[in-house]
Amino acid sequence: MKATFPHLGNVYIAVKALFDGLGIDYVIPPQNSDHALNIGTKYSPEEICLPFKIMIGNYIQAIEQGADTVILTGSCGPCRFGEYCELQMNLMKSLGYNLNFIVLDMPKDIGIKELFNRLVSIGSTSTKSKFEKLKAAKLAIHVMHLIDETEALSHYLAGYERNKGECKRLLQECKTEAMKCSNPAEMLSLIKEYKKRIEYVSVDINKNPLKIALIGEIYTVIEPYSNFYIEDKLMDYGVSTKRGMTPSWWLKNMALSPVKINSLNIKKASREYLSLEIGGHARECIGEAILSYKEGFDGAIQIFPLGCMPEIVSKSILPSISRDFEFPIMSLVVDDMTGEAGYITRLEAFIDLLERRRDNVLYGS
Amino acid sequence: MYYMGVDVGSVSTDIALIDKNYKLIEKIYLRTKGNPIKAVQEGFKILKSKYYDSEITAAGTTGSGRMVASAIIGADVAKNEITAHATAALEIDKDVKTIIEIGGQDSKIIIINNGIVTDFAMNTVCAAGTGSFLDRQAERLDIPIEEFGDYAAKAVSTVRIAGRCAVFAESDMIHKQQLGYAQAEIIRGLCDALVRNYINNIGKGKTILPKVLFQGGVAANKGMKTAFENELGFEIFVPENYDMMGAIGAAIIASEKVIKTGKTRFRGFKLADNNIFSRSFDCEGCPNKCEVVKIYENNNIIGYFGDRCTKWSSKTGEITKLA
Repeated sequence: MKATFPHLGNVYIAVKALFDGLGIDYVIPPQNSDHALNIGTKYSPEEICLPFKIMIGNYIQAIEQGADTVILTGSCGPCRFGEYCELQMNLMKSLGYNLNFIVLDMPKDIGIKELFNRLVSIGSTSTKSKFEKLKAAKLAIHVMHLIDETEALSHYLAGYERNKGECKRLLQECKTEAMKCSNPAEMLSLIKEYKKRIEYVSVDINKNPLKIALIGEIYTVIEPYSNFYIEDKLMDYGVSTKRGMTPSWWLKNMALSPVKINSLNIKKASREYLSLEIGGHARECIGEAILSYKEGFDGAIQIFPLGCMPEIVSKSILPSISRDFEFPIMSLVVDDMTGEAGYITRLEAFIDLLERRRDNVLYGS
Repeated sequence: MYYMGVDVGSVSTDIALIDKNYKLIEKIYLRTKGNPIKAVQEGFKILKSKYYDSEITAAGTTGSGRMVASAIIGADVAKNEITAHATAALEIDKDVKTIIEIGGQDSKIIIINNGIVTDFAMNTVCAAGTGSFLDRQAERLDIPIEEFGDYAAKAVSTVRIAGRCAVFAESDMIHKQQLGYAQAEIIRGLCDALVRNYINNIGKGKTILPKVLFQGGVAANKGMKTAFENELGFEIFVPENYDMMGAIGAAIIASEKVIKTGKTRFRGFKLADNNIFSRSFDCEGCPNKCEVVKIYENNNIIGYFGDRCTKWSSKTGEITKLA
């Protein structure tokens, strides 16, 4: 077995830790790029949402490097993501690829036993002992949390740093160096070290940077290629950002959902505007918009792929929140366009708007 | 002593010169024709014979081509269109509450409260309902774009046209035209459809309060103005220099910037005669494979754009810096 998986933000770092720990052969698809998107667009159904297309690009590029098994998370939820695995299996088969899919669905959909069987089938090619396997899994989860925390920290501190670009540089360096590690323990201590270095970045606490929350559809807020590297751009502008959606949040949310104690704060915050689970992460989007207002953020940016059902619903709710709380929210819709000028204009204009509101500037530079 | 604003849009490139009282002295309206660099040079050729470099004490750029234009002319500021349009609108009328701006690729709504931009929205993903679509329909019907609005005004009744997507609208128009509906009525139907789409999409959740200014190239279209008034139920105003508002705003912002910096970075009109061209290449430095654009002036590189890591654009340092 040579395993691969679709990209989603920093997941590849944790997956490397996991497979290195298990001693399983794997291929990390090349980072998302126009090339991956071109491949995906060529073979995917035309009307499908953007994440599907990029993922198909990932698979085919990974197959070129010898991958034969795709590990994918599933959801039998009411959004299109629930059909991704079936569609992708059929698509890859009709393209003539002999690919094995291991889909990690929620226990409530496939049963805990089946999930366990599927997890075992991933681990079966590992020669490690059961104890070592569990240890590897634990380490990988730790890595996931740590890299998400490190990233969140640098996104937040970017608004306060004295030496412009330091947080961004350290974060980038951390990811590059992590991928050079040969075992998960080494990776863990390396990320810890970088986290500490970012904590000690020289900051000006008297600065009062703009704070923007990123909300919306999970794939497009997390995966930087799909959102024009919006977080990097905001770091360049000296804006502090927060994003509630992370792979580690997703893991925790999944683990707690069977007993219904997942993301209680979000559920509570969104209750007045959207009290039901309508699929995708619409409720999280609404909840996070309200939470970020209460936490003193200046505004929020919603990102979602064209045609995303749950986010279309939240997009039509957000203006009410915006009006009720006087909290600016901008929606960005992404698809397979790669011209950035339009997005940069919107981003700049939004930052301008927030600055002017705050300073009561009539106009001017 | 003049301030210059350059608005490099998708369809037109506008250059405005204003005096120190922000009064418009000179306006140049050119078609961008897919080549922003050449359009700016064309404009400068006209200006060169009338003005000295030293008369320009501030220069600003705006529009989707603002970064490239800024690098070429040595602008003091490159500002987004929202701010530029709002600045210019507030300069002519302090009481404006809503700005409807429809350009070649973008349509926007800007909400102003007590002279401060408090909210805005832009078309999200495609250019349906914007100027380039009207342009294309005018071309298809073989009507000069300048007269397009007059046709709509002639119509006594309207035909329903689908408005959410330019491609849908075009098919709808063709199907209705083949059924024999009058051209004027179809054009009016198109204007109604665009306005309906604007209110429902861009204006969603926003309260459009008078006084409303309608600016951008599409404001020339009387049919659109009437359609907006019918939909909103009150009069909307098209400022005299509706097609220059972005450029005027950029000039005003630049003048304020120069007060802070003390000196303009304007490089002069001579660039009209220089050989400015661009080359792009795929950077192989990392898996991102950014498409990097190099701008040359007489074989000297004056700017890089398009790289994520700033490995290239940092070489040009200040000129690529966002305002």
